[in-house]
Amino acid sequence: MSDPPPQERTSAERPSLDEAVEERIAEIGDADIVLGVPSYNNASTIGHVVRALLAGLAKYFPDQRAVLVNSDGGSSDGTRDVVLASNIDDRESILITHPSGPIASFSLPYHGIPGKGSAFRTIFAIAKALHAKGCAVVDSDLRSITPEWVELLLKPVLSGRFDYVAPLYRRHKYDGTITNSIVYPMTRALFGKRIRQPIGGDFGFSGDLAAFYLSKDVWESDVARYGIDIWMTITAVANGFRVCQSYLGAKIHDPKDPGADLSAMLHQVIGSTIELMGTYPQVWSKVHASEPIPTFGFPYAVGLEPVAVNLERMLDRFQLGLQELGSLWATYLPETVMEALEEARSAPAERFTIPDPVWVEIVYRLAGAYHQRTMNREHLLKSFTPLYIGKTASFVIEAAEMDADEVERRLESLCETYETMKPSLLANWE
Amino acid sequence: MAEFIGNAFADAYRRFLDGVVRFVPNLLTAILILIIGLIVAGVVRLVLARILRWMRVDRLAARVGAPDMLRKGGVTEPISSLAARIVAWITGIGFAILSLYALDVPTVEHLLERFLLYLPNLFVASLILYFGYLIGQFAARAALIAAVNAGSRVSGLIARFVKATVLVLALSMALEQLGIGNQTVIIAFAILLGGFVLALAIAFGLGGKEIARDYLRKRIRGGKDDDDFHHV
Repeated sequence: MSDPPPQERTSAERPSLDEAVEERIAEIGDADIVLGVPSYNNASTIGHVVRALLAGLAKYFPDQRAVLVNSDGGSSDGTRDVVLASNIDDRESILITHPSGPIASFSLPYHGIPGKGSAFRTIFAIAKALHAKGCAVVDSDLRSITPEWVELLLKPVLSGRFDYVAPLYRRHKYDGTITNSIVYPMTRALFGKRIRQPIGGDFGFSGDLAAFYLSKDVWESDVARYGIDIWMTITAVANGFRVCQSYLGAKIHDPKDPGADLSAMLHQVIGSTIELMGTYPQVWSKVHASEPIPTFGFPYAVGLEPVAVNLERMLDRFQLGLQELGSLWATYLPETVMEALEEARSAPAERFTIPDPVWVEIVYRLAGAYHQRTMNREHLLKSFTPLYIGKTASFVIEAAEMDADEVERRLESLCETYETMKPSLLANWE
Repeated sequence: MAEFIGNAFADAYRRFLDGVVRFVPNLLTAILILIIGLIVAGVVRLVLARILRWMRVDRLAARVGAPDMLRKGGVTEPISSLAARIVAWITGIGFAILSLYALDVPTVEHLLERFLLYLPNLFVASLILYFGYLIGQFAARAALIAAVNAGSRVSGLIARFVKATVLVLALSMALEQLGIGNQTVIIAFAILLGGFVLALAIAFGLGGKEIARDYLRKRIRGGKDDDDFHHV
């Protein structure tokens, strides 16, 4: 592992935990494994997630001392009670060997900015306090998690060969559009590692990496919210930690939160990505090609739930954005891109398209404008939402008749465009 | 009689000449001070601009987003040059006031005194207007982006309304600072804004009750959105 870049702020202290939690940690002493589940009002799904984790621990790591931590954002639906009450009802049906001891469970509220990142920080702190060798975190709204996920996320770490395990899923072709159109291709072009789900949300990592994360002073930024996933991935890659990915099967969530604000999500994910570019320019500017990373697990086809898409509304949002925010975009986008967007607007709905080179130029110019502070950063990122919706609509139209493999090939082509056009990013950056 | 009139004229003429003799040196001094002031202001501008450029103030200002803020206010000049120009103007005005005092004319002195006492009000009022304009621009753009992202068809109108409200507020504050129609402006502004908000409330209440009901239902009961896919 290389030394962290000098401009990155570090903080040696771990956040203070409640007295009761500290006492419990002292009682437990050390643990081999820490499993973390951040939550906020997930009473309907978290029971299944916790049972899957407990079963996974009992089945694959019966001799390891394990602790399960639920870091909760103040749920009012009894999420924490569900966690503490969850147990494996039918041990005999899934276990051949029985675990050597009971698995300790924590369910505690986290402190700090409300968000997934703050929840993770508490999990890192407990992992550090328990001197854990391996850790894994999973989302609490998963419906497709199985005990095998525990093995797939932890085994590469506990074997001592890897520090960070990213997830690899089968997802519906319209799912994970921020990942597919921005975060995956950009991370790949920047750091040269083909991590297919850099913001998947379910990760495995070593105790050393947890302590390294904890030492960073980023917990008052967007990292404390949706930015945590990309921050964990890029921090691991940019600092030379050994990275791999594990095939976990399908990723099926609870229905999405209707109150979730897309522009806030984009702001936090893309803002964090560009901030990280600013932290590690000496790393990514030297990367000129990408390479696959070791992949574990057995890929298999899965049935996925259909996904409803309102294409008409998406096109409407893009057109409204171009009409009202076009002059704002023109301050950082070149004329050729603006012309291409106008062309897309005037095309009939079935032929609507934002070509890959135009899209990549938009994303790279956005990164440059954010870095150069050509306008207020929040305005810059939030005004990007209609452009993203436009690209998503373009992809939905193009991929309407494609199967999963064809979609992957299509994304591969987008990634290559990102890599080919990287000099444009470098030119815009300084 | 003729001698009396002659003496009166001679006396008046002598006093006039005395006055002129007394005034001319003052006038020359005033002109000299003014010329020196203009030269000093010019030199200050040149030297200060160079010093600020040498200190890389423009780069520093760019880091905190100051040029962006000024551009929104229609100022495209570099910060170093702008700051040097402002200091030069202040220097020039200072010398001009000094030169007027050198004239030693009581009326001018009285007017100057009143002007100097009023100057802070003018300065504060222009600051209020300038920042009002910047805040108006900023708030209008924030409202425009939020409205577009919410899919509002009247995004532009909302942004213009936000900007106008901030500008009217800034104008009324500036006028109050200048002491122009203190109460009238405040009351007029309150009536105007209150009336407009009431009109909007009634219009939204009558015209948008379906939207409000759908919105609340979605928020409270967690109704489904049109799109099912997860973005991340």
